[in-house]
Amino acid sequence: MNRFMQELTKGLWKELPPFRLLLGLCPVLAVTKSASSGIGMGMAVLFVLTLSNMLISMVRNIIPSKVRIACFITISATLVVAVELLMQAYAYPLYLQLGIFVPLIVVNCIILGRAEAFAAKNPVHLAIADGLGMGLGFTMSLTFLGSIREILGAGTWFGHPVMWDGFQPFTIMVEAPGAFLCLGLTLAAMNYGTHRQIMKKSREGSEELPASPCGGCRACAMGRNKD
Amino acid sequence: MSNSNNDILLAISTPPFWHCGRTIRKNSIHTLLALVPAVILSLIQWGVPAARVMALSIVTALVTEAVCQTLMKQKLSQDNGTAAITGLLLAFLLPASAPWWLVIIASAGAMGIGRMAFGGYGANQVNATLVGWALVFVSFPLYMDPNASLLQTTLIDPLLRAKYFGGAAVADFPLSDLLLGRQLGGLGAVQSGALFVGGMYLALRGIIRWEVPFSFLVGVFLSASAFHLANPELYAGPLFHIFSGSTVLAAFFLATEDSCSPHRRLPMLLYGLTGGVLVLLIRTFGMYTDGAPFAVMLINLLAPMFALIRSHPFGTVPGKARQTSKTEGGTRA
Repeated sequence: MNRFMQELTKGLWKELPPFRLLLGLCPVLAVTKSASSGIGMGMAVLFVLTLSNMLISMVRNIIPSKVRIACFITISATLVVAVELLMQAYAYPLYLQLGIFVPLIVVNCIILGRAEAFAAKNPVHLAIADGLGMGLGFTMSLTFLGSIREILGAGTWFGHPVMWDGFQPFTIMVEAPGAFLCLGLTLAAMNYGTHRQIMKKSREGSEELPASPCGGCRACAMGRNKD
Repeated sequence: MSNSNNDILLAISTPPFWHCGRTIRKNSIHTLLALVPAVILSLIQWGVPAARVMALSIVTALVTEAVCQTLMKQKLSQDNGTAAITGLLLAFLLPASAPWWLVIIASAGAMGIGRMAFGGYGANQVNATLVGWALVFVSFPLYMDPNASLLQTTLIDPLLRAKYFGGAAVADFPLSDLLLGRQLGGLGAVQSGALFVGGMYLALRGIIRWEVPFSFLVGVFLSASAFHLANPELYAGPLFHIFSGSTVLAAFFLATEDSCSPHRRLPMLLYGLTGGVLVLLIRTFGMYTDGAPFAVMLINLLAPMFALIRSHPFGTVPGKARQTSKTEGGTRA
């Protein structure tokens, strides 16, 4: 159970998909024009990611490793079609808003990445935890970015006006350059915070290698050790 | 270099030991000097509102730079004048009627996102001035449009007229009006004549390399001639395109920013030429009337590509030089 919680929570901050792993950036940049489309896209990915992780983990011992990628894609494509049909039936406006990016979840690298890196090597319950955690982290990040861009770019949040009366919407934030600006500044802020934490820790003189700020390659920490 | 003469410090330094005396500060002073005629003409034309926009833009740029440098624990460098130039050039691109918050957003964006986010002067890939300009131009098109704002003026925007009524509509637009800035647009960018004089001064002093503005204007001239010869009814002539809008400002002051333009003669010529052609393409086929600032942003991004065109090292044969470098790389790997 402890391991389960660990896999579940790592996607929420330590390996937050778009900001720490930098995976699945295509929808992060493209559909975060508003908080609601961000949350919708996040939910779709959450659904696909959890189920694909579960299915892949179940069949991981049956698939020959040479054709595993094809199998992963078949499984996730099936799930994406299911999501697409469900969206058309129950959330048609959202489906229109997200457009091509729903079918594109198939080739979203976060689905394949988690399948290859985690689900194909771990038992079912851990794979589900990983998918849930990553999906929740992804939804959180998309909603966060979407909120910033919607508040600055349109003066609303989930469609409700939140800014003062004379507010001039900052239109560039809901255009494509705004997505890059927001993502870049968020990444910079997160890296700065992590860097400061590490510095603080190493100043306190802990012997342990500090966690790498960039998703776990630990190259920087190792480089620092060599010096 | 930073040690003053009073320090008794026997430092070992690498060559070059001989220094020509050029500093960023001196370059900035010459650039500001070159902008003075345009400032005076725009003050005569627009009066106090123009002075307000320019002052606010410069002050915001200086303050933003100081704040960012304090946060980044860098040495304060407001005295080298580069921030002031960025602020002034940005003000040149804004209309005289720009509201105060628009000027502050543009100027803070130019320094904050355009320059300091990349690490400071000389580290930015795209001209910082244009980043600030694009930020407000895309966000607040209504306030950036001198036609729609409350300027009490009878001037017309020649580029707007050329775009929507064809080249024939501006065929009798007097060149002297264009040169003296009697056209509607950014408050200083339209002072083509004054900017041309200032730009020539910079080029002759060697502050900017002549290749970039020259080939930029040649690019505009050639492509405008091609369009004009193909259909003079629809497309305005080459001189009109050179002296209308912000072409001259872009050629002499924006495209030449040190960190965003390539070195060497051939890359610089190609860089400018591409920019000139892009100006005409955006003006003719794009959705914006004045393509010059966007064209400069695009060639700024292309500058690293142009910089790949190198001459071979002295004393080697081109083909052989490449081979040796390949084997060197092989052994290292």
